[in-house]
Amino acid sequence: MSTVVQVPLRYRIPWKKIALYVLAIAFGLYLVLPFYWIVAMSFMHEADALSVPPHWVPVNPTLENYLGFVNPNSAQELVGGRAVSETPYSLRNSLVVASATAVLNLVLATFAAYSFSRLKFKGSQVLLVLYLLTRMVPGIAIIIPFYLLMRQFGLLDTYLALILSYTTFALPITIWILKDFFRSVPRELEEAARVDRCGWFRTMWSVFLPVAAPGLVAAAVFAFMTAWNEFMFALFLTSTKAAKTIPVVAANFATDFNTQFTVMAAAGVLAVVPPLVLALLFQRKLVQGMAAGSVKG
Amino acid sequence: MSVLTERRPLGDTAKAWALNAPAITVITLLVAYPIGYSFYVSLQRNNLKRPKAKRFIGLDNYKALFSDDAFLSALKVSAVFVVVVLGLTVVLALILALVLNERFRGRGLLLSLALLPWAMPGVVNGLMWRTIFDAKTGALNGLMLQLGLIDSYQAWLTSSTGAFLFTALAQVWNTLPFSVIILLAGLSTIPSELYDAATVDRAGAFRRFTQVTVPWLLHPLLIVLILETMNAFRAFDTIYVLTGGGPGDATTTIALLDVQTVLTFTDFGLGSAYAWVITAITLIISVGYIGLLYRKGNFEV
Repeated sequence: MSTVVQVPLRYRIPWKKIALYVLAIAFGLYLVLPFYWIVAMSFMHEADALSVPPHWVPVNPTLENYLGFVNPNSAQELVGGRAVSETPYSLRNSLVVASATAVLNLVLATFAAYSFSRLKFKGSQVLLVLYLLTRMVPGIAIIIPFYLLMRQFGLLDTYLALILSYTTFALPITIWILKDFFRSVPRELEEAARVDRCGWFRTMWSVFLPVAAPGLVAAAVFAFMTAWNEFMFALFLTSTKAAKTIPVVAANFATDFNTQFTVMAAAGVLAVVPPLVLALLFQRKLVQGMAAGSVKG
Repeated sequence: MSVLTERRPLGDTAKAWALNAPAITVITLLVAYPIGYSFYVSLQRNNLKRPKAKRFIGLDNYKALFSDDAFLSALKVSAVFVVVVLGLTVVLALILALVLNERFRGRGLLLSLALLPWAMPGVVNGLMWRTIFDAKTGALNGLMLQLGLIDSYQAWLTSSTGAFLFTALAQVWNTLPFSVIILLAGLSTIPSELYDAATVDRAGAFRRFTQVTVPWLLHPLLIVLILETMNAFRAFDTIYVLTGGGPGDATTTIALLDVQTVLTFTDFGLGSAYAWVITAITLIISVGYIGLLYRKGNFEV
C-alpha cells in the first residue's frame, strides 16, 4: 500500500475503502459478465436462450450444444451446416499449428536471445530495434505477397503456411522476453561448466536451458496464444477443414444466418478455453513478460 | 555506456550473428521480402479475376486513393474509432490499474479476471458481443429492460452511430487488459517514499495523485497510447464478426476495407496500396514509440 498508515484519532467513515470495493466489484462484473453470458448460453436449450426476458442461469442445463459438434442430432444436422461439422477439425488444426509455432519460436528465439544476453557484439542494438520494428508491421501489409508466395509453393490450406506466418509474428516478442530472462540467469553456472570442459552445446543443453526453463515456458505460452488467436492470416490462407483454425470456423458461425446462438456460444467457449487456461496458469510470468516487453522496450 | 568503451573480441560478434541467423532468415523471408513485394504489387493493376489486364501502372493506385470515397470514408471511420477506443481504454485502464495497485481482499481474483478478455481471441469477442447486443434476444436488452432503463428491446446495431459505438465498446473490452498490465507495472515502480514525502508535506490524495502518480506514470501512459493507437487502427477480428463493416460502411475501418478489397474483389493492386498507407501510418507511430523508449534510457542492450 502506498499511503502512510495514519492513526485514527476519531472514527472516520472509510470512504477510500468503500470506493475501492465498489470499483473492484464493478470492474469484476464488467470483466466477467459478458463471458459468463456465453458460457451460460452454451449450456442452454435453444428455446431457453431465446426467451424474453432472458434466463440468466440455464434452467435445464444441457450438453447438447457441445455434443452436437461430434455427433449432431437431426435438428442440428438440418440447420447447423458446415461450421458445426468443421469445429472438431478446426480445434485439432489450431492445436497442431499453435504447438508447432510455439516449438519453432522457442528454438529460433533461444539462439537469438542468448546472443543478446551473453555476447557483446557490433550491431546488437540495431538488431534489437529491427526485431521490434518487425513487430510493428501490420499483418495486412504482408498478407497479399504472403498469400501469393504460398500459392506459388502450393502451401495454401496447409499447416506450414500458418506456422511460418505465426512464427514471424511471435518471434520479436519471444526474443525480447527471453533476452530479459536469460540475463537473470547467473553466468557462473556456464563458467563452471566450461571449467569442466563441457562444449558450448552441452553447456546450453544441460546447464543453461534447465535453469532458464520458466522463461522458456512463458515464451512458448506467448507464442502458442498468438497462433491460437490469430484470425486474418488464417482467413486468407485456409479454405477447407484440412487447415481452417478455430477462429475461422467461429467466424463462419457469425456469418451463417441459420446458426443457433447456443451452438455458436459453445464454439466460442471451446475456442477460448485453451488460451484462458494458459493465461491463468502462467499469469505471473505472462504479466511480467508483457510488462517487460513493452515498458522496458 | 561502458559497452562502447570496452573492446569486443571478434569471436563474439561472429558467434552472435550466427546465433541470430535463423531468426533473421525467417524474418527477412517472411516479413521484409513480402513488404517490399507488396509495394511492387501496389504499383500494378493486379486483379486475380482479370489476369490479362495485369500491368505496371506506377503510382496510379495511390493517386486513385484521394478520390476513392470508400477509402476516405474508411480512413475517417478508423480515425474516429481510434479516438473513441483510445479514450475509453485509457480512462478505464487507469482506474482499474489504480484499483489493482491497492491492497484489498479479492485483488488476486480481480487480476485474474482482468486477464480474461486478453486471452479471448478477437473473433470470439465479436461472437460474444453479437449475442449480447442482439436485437431480439440479447443480454443487454434483457438486462436494461429488467433494470427499467428501456421500455422495449432495441436494435442496437442497426443505426450507424449505434453500431459504431457498440463496436468500439466491444473492442475496448478486448484490449483493456493489455493497457492495465502496462500501467500496473508502471505503478508498481513508484517508490513509496515519494508518497510518504508528499504526505509529510500535507498533500491530499488528489495532490498526491497529480504530483506523484501522474508524472511517474507519464511514460507507461505514452506507451499505452502508442500501442493502443496501433491496435485500434488495425482492428479487424472483432469488427469483422460483430458488424462485418455495416450498416452501410459505418464500421468499415481501413483494415476491413483492405480485406474486403482483396478477398471479395480480389483487387490485389489497390489492396496493396491500402496496406501501404496503413503501414506508413503505423510506421510513423512506431518510430515515435521507439524514440520514446530510447529517450527514457530503457533500451539497454
